This record gives sequence, structure tokens and C-alpha cells, in this order.
Amino acid sequence: MKYWYFLVIGLTAFVTSCEDVINVNLPTGKPRLIVDALIRVDTTQEYIPVLVKVTQTSNFFEEIPVTSLESILITYETTEDQIVIHTGFSSLTDLDAGSGIYTPNPNFSTEQRIRTSILEHNDVLFTMIIEHEGRKYISQTRYIRSAPLTRIEQGNETLFSKDETEVIVAFEDNPNSENFYVFDFDFSEFLVTEDTFYNGQKFEFSYFYDNELESGRDLTISVLGADRTFYNYMNQLIEQSEGPQGPFQTPTATVRGNVFDITDLDNQEVFDNVEQADVFPLGYFAIVQEFKSTITIQ
Amino acid sequence: MNQRNQTFLIVFLLCSIFSFSQQKYTLSGTISEASSNETLIGVTIAVPELKAGVVTNEYGFYSITLPEGDYRIQVSYLGFKDVIQSIALNQSLKLNIQMVEAAEQLEEVVVTENVERMDIRKPQMSVNTMSIETIKKIPVILGEADVIKSILLLPGVTNAGEGASGFNVRGGAVDQNLILLDEAIIFNSSHLFGFFSVFNPDAIKDIKLYKGGIPARYGGRVSSVLDIFQKEGNSKELKINGGIGVVASRLLVEGPIVKDKAAFLVGGRGSYAHLFLPLFDQDNTAYFYDLNTKLNYNINDKNSIYLSGYFGRDVFGISDSFVNTYGNSVGNFRWNHLFSDKLFSNLSLIYSDYYYGLKLDFVGFNWNSGIQNFNVKYDLKHYINDKLQINYGLNNIYYSFNPGEIEPSNSESGIIKERLTKKYANEFAAYIDVEHDITEKLSLGYGLRFSNFIRLGQDELNVYENDNPVVFDPFLLIYQEADPIALSEPGRSGSLATYSNFEPRASLAYTINDNSSIKASYTRLAQYLHLLSNTSSPTPLDVWTPSGPFVKPQLLDQYALGFFKNFKEGRYTLETEVFYKDIQNRIDYIDGANLIANDAIETVILNGEARAYGLEFLLRKNEGKFQGWLAYTLSKSEQRTPGRISNVDNGRSNLETGINFGEWYNTPYDKTHDISFYGSYDLNDKWSLNTNFVYQTGQPTNYPIGQFEFQGLAVPYYGLRNQERLPDYHRIDLAATLTPRKNKTKKVKGEWVFSVYNIYNRRNAASINFRRDQDTGINEAVRTSIFGIVPAVTYNFKF
Repeated sequence: MKYWYFLVIGLTAFVTSCEDVINVNLPTGKPRLIVDALIRVDTTQEYIPVLVKVTQTSNFFEEIPVTSLESILITYETTEDQIVIHTGFSSLTDLDAGSGIYTPNPNFSTEQRIRTSILEHNDVLFTMIIEHEGRKYISQTRYIRSAPLTRIEQGNETLFSKDETEVIVAFEDNPNSENFYVFDFDFSEFLVTEDTFYNGQKFEFSYFYDNELESGRDLTISVLGADRTFYNYMNQLIEQSEGPQGPFQTPTATVRGNVFDITDLDNQEVFDNVEQADVFPLGYFAIVQEFKSTITIQ
Repeated sequence: MNQRNQTFLIVFLLCSIFSFSQQKYTLSGTISEASSNETLIGVTIAVPELKAGVVTNEYGFYSITLPEGDYRIQVSYLGFKDVIQSIALNQSLKLNIQMVEAAEQLEEVVVTENVERMDIRKPQMSVNTMSIETIKKIPVILGEADVIKSILLLPGVTNAGEGASGFNVRGGAVDQNLILLDEAIIFNSSHLFGFFSVFNPDAIKDIKLYKGGIPARYGGRVSSVLDIFQKEGNSKELKINGGIGVVASRLLVEGPIVKDKAAFLVGGRGSYAHLFLPLFDQDNTAYFYDLNTKLNYNINDKNSIYLSGYFGRDVFGISDSFVNTYGNSVGNFRWNHLFSDKLFSNLSLIYSDYYYGLKLDFVGFNWNSGIQNFNVKYDLKHYINDKLQINYGLNNIYYSFNPGEIEPSNSESGIIKERLTKKYANEFAAYIDVEHDITEKLSLGYGLRFSNFIRLGQDELNVYENDNPVVFDPFLLIYQEADPIALSEPGRSGSLATYSNFEPRASLAYTINDNSSIKASYTRLAQYLHLLSNTSSPTPLDVWTPSGPFVKPQLLDQYALGFFKNFKEGRYTLETEVFYKDIQNRIDYIDGANLIANDAIETVILNGEARAYGLEFLLRKNEGKFQGWLAYTLSKSEQRTPGRISNVDNGRSNLETGINFGEWYNTPYDKTHDISFYGSYDLNDKWSLNTNFVYQTGQPTNYPIGQFEFQGLAVPYYGLRNQERLPDYHRIDLAATLTPRKNKTKKVKGEWVFSVYNIYNRRNAASINFRRDQDTGINEAVRTSIFGIVPAVTYNFKF
């Protein structure tokens, strides 16, 4: 968790009264493919809810256009002692053509959905292969477990202003390993945390929504498993979506995900992307366990 | 020139000096202010007959050795009446002089050619001094006189914007400034995140800022030295002064313990900022306070001792669940001893620390971190003759770093008490520094500092594959923390890394005529400590880390060339300088690096480089009803972190992309144009007016070149770093000081300072946020400006 982040909120409270919206002419970089392939797994269900959303970058003030892929395929394999035990694949399609939303193709001759039971094997390796506008992209990921939420409760404390809504969240960290978690607090609000200082403990903390939430509204909070790379990725996304924080701004950089362009890699002359650092898509491919809980705001 | 040659040259030059003999006597003594016995720094003692002279040191001491003869010596100091005294130098003479403040407006200080020629002739360049009187007159935000805000008006000095802490000198980073308060290192110069500085103006006597040509007696930071001297205390009579302002009030008491021999000074300052922030309507607090103390005892002609202390804290709390406390403390013992009338020595024993504490009850933990150091310094000043002065000394600093300790804040908390591995280091330095007048036209300053840094053993140390704590993915082009492959236990004895550096310093002044000179300097400096800060300006939470097995010391080379001119009998001075500097091993951070509570900080650090160059121009008017200066700086400040050659894989070696594709990028404090004007006008004996005008190129920032969405999170997407700029920054401040006429007859003398900051209410952007409005779902650019027009009134008193 970024501790200093709280400080930033604190200082921002000092100065928020001096904010105004201004017009800025922004440049537009060339469009890039964005792959949103965060797949949240509920292990009690029979199938993994594979859903990949593809869009393209646009000017900051414009709509983000959806795009269509030539193809998208997810393969998986499980190994034991370096021997492949099980392989399979899932072909995806946009059922609603042009929606940019790809799910396992139900019209295929065989079942394209991936069974949750595959995740009982350790270290299942998933590979996603995408073709888009003549370029070929690839990404690999392994399933990451999460930890169940033990308590979700609305609190009545506030922190910086009286409008905030407090939610108390508790979960039990997996002992004996270094864990990372991504919390989804609804409203596209996320929080990342690692267990360095609470390894194996029942950990409880308060989260504050900036606004007073409407009473009667359902609030869904979930905790997702993460590895270091995904944690870093989400951490940077959260920070950049907040915008620079004045003197406390950290250097901005394009947040690169784990999908990369392999079109020009021939493994004879070109082995990596170092020479073409500007050729890359955005987005992330992860298959993670999710624990979810819903409360109704009082 | 290699280092051996340089050493050799110095020895040679020294030898050439000692070789002549003539009947000579030494004139020495201390110069102080008549009303308080406060010693005066930088007073010129001129001997016009010989076109010779000397300047008092940090303790008011001077010494000059001259041939036998009768002289009319002239003692002058800006703001004081000149003292002219005839002496017959037929034996060595002790001459303590007391100077009287020139009554304001009544008579202008008579400055003769010879006196002004001193500065022109001295090889020291790139230095700005500022008296506390000037600092107190400069209009500042909320009327709180401020050392750091004042030096921002000098050429080559900027900061990362309003509310940003610290200052940047000649394109250097904030952590590259050595800030000394009575010779003790201050690690954080800001209160309340940078709105105020930690120095109580009432307790300060004088400040000196070295931007280049830094003498060999200083070391450890690569950009600048800000040397701040506290007052010693009035040993004549009890004096109280203070001020009441809108954010803070201060009170300072000083007086004799033994008349003319021993004095004390106690100064306190506290803010009530939380009262004027109506935003906090609950049980919230935001305040700072600081305490300055000093004792001095003038044992006899040859010995004086000083004890000084500083303690400052900021407390920033939001109910009970968020409390943030931080600050510096300093304790200092010094002993001045005169071995002879030519050899002055000072021994300092200094302790200083910086503490940071944070309580986040809603997450369930308390956190604290800090740095401590013990510093022993022994400095000698040897006044050999009127042409030669040699300074030499030793310095040893022992550091202990606490990168952080965490503990549960309540019994319910799941936090496990843990301490990040403490780090230790020792920094030793020895120096020799010569001020040498070669001919009437040519003066040299040359010196050498040897520094040695040992990163001492610690309890635990991570071991990485191929000794590489940062791994690079050649496909995703992402740098990421490596997982340690083992944990070694080096133990407290022994060392993890040792660095030694020879740091030559050289400067030269060539006098063209009585009123103009050319100066040049070269400085090499090594910096062994790094402030882990990834933000535009440091936050109080940032921790210092020593160089070690993975982090190398920063090395600076700076070259400067300048032209200096006095005109209209010294009423105006013009200083122009060009500089170029290059810093090796400037640390940079991988994207998204977490610097706080990171026990393996080496996994997010890459060694890069920095450079800066520019032109500075300073025109001052030193006397008269109207005084002030105009400063202009044209400069560039950049850094880059190229890719390393990564480990060989299948017989291939890969080049990494580095940070920002390995390309140079503007530092957050790169300001192409920086104009500052300060003017002070004494209207009559009742009113005086002061004004500032500041214009700066907007600071570098990033504008998104597009956006993307991930899981409903709208994320701006950026190109290369710091390519865009915020709108230009400018403002005018005004202050008027009212000294009621009846003051003269009253025991309590008061004055009112009315000030207006940013008089035309310009909304200077501190940042532009690109974000999605939560209610409308529309993306927008939001400008944050920190201060609009801010009027303030302060009442100062003394009796």
C-alpha cells in the first residue's frame, strides 16, 4: 500500500478549494490496442468467465473507440515435473459483432469454455494470442489465488471531510508466502496492498469513499489475487488515473502491461523488443481468484 | 590534470610562499556589534596603503600579517558605520573593534574603492550572502519571513513550485543541498510540506549560499551549501523581540549571563495554521513549532565556547486516526581556540537527527523512520600573511539510518511489529584549502578534499542473482524488483562497501581594474547520501539512504566562469556567471517504484546521470533609499538513465531501454527563464516599501497523449517524460513596513508589516490534473493553484 498516498490526500484537502477546470489542447499519439483481459474467477462456478474487452487509445477528451480483432485465442497447459499433463484452448469471438467484447465461442464444434477445475493444478500457464490490424500480440499469465473477505461493514467515521463514507474491510492473508491483493471497491475505485507487514494475519482496515453514498445502494467489494507484476501495474494505473498531485507528483510514464507485440520477433535476428521500444499495446491479461461481498448502504 | 599532479601543484605553491622573510607583525582580533557584542561575519578590514585586507570569519575573527609600519585601517560592513583607525604596527597587535549600526536613512555608508575591490579580487565566486535584515524585508506569503523563500529570489535558485519543499540550485535536486545550521546538517528545511522553512528568522544572523566554487572545507552534497549562522546572544543587556503574524508568532529572548563574557539566546516559534484553515472543523490539527537555543562563553582572549540547539516539529493530524509528526533536532558544542594570532581553530561536536512518525489508525499501524548523525569537525584557519590564508581540517560523520519501523496502533490491528534493516555508515574527510594572492591582479583559491565513505555492516542484506537487484523484461520492456535469492547476515562489524574520492577545488580571480574582474572555478564534489524521493519535490516521509553495494555515490564536476563589476563607486554591482555541471550516478527509480517501507530499496533504483548548464545575471543596488536586485537565469536541467547492458543470455548480451527510453528528460525543476526582482524603498522614517516580482517558465509536466480504460478505470496515457510545461509562473508581492514615529521615545519598539502576496491574484498552476469527473463521467483538465492573493499583517516588537 502506498502510505504516502494518504498524505497526498491530506495536502490536497488544503488546496482543493483552488481547483478549476481549464481548457488544454492535448496532443494525440498514434492509436494503440488496449486489451482488458482481467478474468476474475469464482472457484465455486463450473467455468472460468473468460471475457476480453478490446479498445483503442484516443485523445484524452474523446470517447474510447472499441475495435475488432482478427482472432483471439487462449491456450493453457498444466505441467508436472516439466511434463505437460494437460493442454487445451479456448477460441474467443465477439458475439455482438463490433462490440469489442470477446467471449468463448459458443458456436464452435467443441466446448470453448475453460473449466474451473483446471485451476486445481498448480501453475497452470495461460497464453493469449491476438491478431489485430496485421499485428500479432501475445501474453502469458498464471492463475493467482486470493484470500476470502471475513468482514465488510459500513462504518461511520470520516477522515478528511464529513461527506466520506467509511467501509471496514477484513480478510485473512495467506500465510507462508508473499501475497499481493487488488481490492475493487466498486465505482472503478481500486486499492492495492501487499502483505509485508501483516503476513498470515487477519487484516482489517477502513476504506473511505469521497462522497456520501446513497442510502439503499448496493456496494460490491471484492478482493483479487495478484502477483508482483499485476500489483505494480494496478498501482500505477490507480496513481495515474488520479492525475498528478502537484509537488507530490511522481514521474509519469506509459503504464506498460503484460501484452506485447511479437510481429517482428523472428528469434533469429530479433529476440526482444528493446530495439522497438515504441511498439507495444496497452492492457493486461490476468486470471485471478476473486472473493466478493455486497452490502447495502444504510 | 590527474589527482597526484593536483596535490603536487598545491604543495609547490605552498612552498613558494614560505620562502621569503621580512619584518612582519600580525594584526588580529574580533569584530562585533557594539550594542550586543554579537560578532559580525564578513566584515572587511582593509589596509588601503597596501591594498591589502581580510574578512572576518564565521566567528567574527580576523588576522592579517603586514610589514612593520603605520597604517590607517578601515573596517567596513554594510549597514554599519565605518571605523577608521590609525595603528602603528611595530609589534603584533590585538585589535577588537565594535561597530555601530548606521542610523537608517541619515547617512549613507561611505564605501571606498579599496573596500569594494576586496570582493572583486577574491577568487570565491558563485556565492550569495544575505543578511537577516534583507530576509526580514522581503515580502513573503502570510508575512512569515523565510530564509528559503528569500534565496529563491537569487539567480540560479528555484523550487518545484508553491508549497514545494526545499530549493533547487543550478538545476540540482533538493537533496543535493548541504544545509548547515551552526555547522550542523539539517535534513529537512521545510515546515508544513514546504509552506514555511524551519529557520526562525529572529535567531539567525547571516546566511551564505554557495552555488559553485565550493571551498574544500565543505563536502557531502553536490549542488550547493547553505550556511546559516545563528546569533550568539546579546552579552550586554537583556533583549526581547518577537512578532505576531497571521499564521505564526515568535518570541526571542537573549541576554548576558556574565556581562560581556557569556550570553544566552532562546527563541521559539509556533504556528496556529489550523485556526485559519476553516476546512478542518473537527478535532484536526496542523501546526509547527521550533525552538532555537544558544549559549556562548568567551572564556578568555584565546578561547570561546558555544552550545547551540535546535528542535523543530510539525504535527499534522486528522482526528485520532491520522497523525503525522516530523522534524529536525540538532545539538552542537563548539570550541574556538586561538593557537596564535595567526592560527584560529574550531572544534565542533555535533549531533543532528531527522524524525518522521506517522500514525494511520484506520489501517492499524504506527510508523516511524529517521536519520541520526554524529559529527566531529576540526577546522583550522591559518592566516600566514596578507597574501596567503590556509584552511585545513578533518571531519568525521557517523550515520545511522532507520528506514522504518512499523507497529500495530491498536490491539485489533493485524499489523505485525517489524523494523526494516537499519543501515549504518561513516563518512570521513580531510581537506586543505588555500586562499592565495599571487600578484596584485591574480588571486587563486585552490584546495583538495579527500573523502572516504564506508557503508558499515548491517544485520541483514539481500543477495541477488548476478548481483542484480533490478530485472528487466526484454519483451514487456518493464523494470521490476528482483526477488532475493538469499539473505546474508553480514553483521554489524565489517563493511559492505567503501568509496574514496579526491575532490579538487580551484578558483581564480583576475582583476581587470579596480572595479572589474573575471573569475573561474572548478569544483568536484562527492555525495554519499541520497534522499529517496520520487516526487517533484520531497515529502517529509522520504527517507535518506547511504551509498552501498548497489547505490553508488553521486559525483559532480562543475565549471563556472564569471564577470564581476562594481560601478558608481560600488553603489551598483553586476555579477554574471555561466556554469556547466555534470553529475554521475544520479539515482532514478523504475516506473511505479515504491520507496516507502521498502526493505529492498536497491530493487527499484537505477544509477543515471544529470547535467545542468546556464547563465546567471545579478544586478544589485547596494545603497541609498532604493535598494534591491534584479536576477535573471537562463538554464537547463536534465537527467537520464540509459539502459544497462543486461546479463548475457545464450551468448547474447542485451541492451536495456533504460528509463524514458534512455533519453534525456527535463527535471521537474527545470525553468528555462527565471526572473526575480526585489526592491526596497525607504519612503520616510515611518514607511518603507518592499516588492518582489517573479517570472518563471512553467515547470515541466506531462500531458496525456491519449487515454485508455482498464476495468472501468480511465487512465491517461503519457509519452516521453516532462515534455510539456505548465503555464508560465508570475506574481508580484508587496509589503509595507510602518515604524510609528513615537517609537523613538518608547522602550518597546514596534513595527507593522502589511503584505500582499500575489497582488494581481494570478492563479498560477501548481499542477494540471487529467482525470475523469466522478459525477459526470467526463474527462477534464483540472488546474490546481495554491495561492491566489494573500494579504497578511505581522506585528514585530523588540524591547
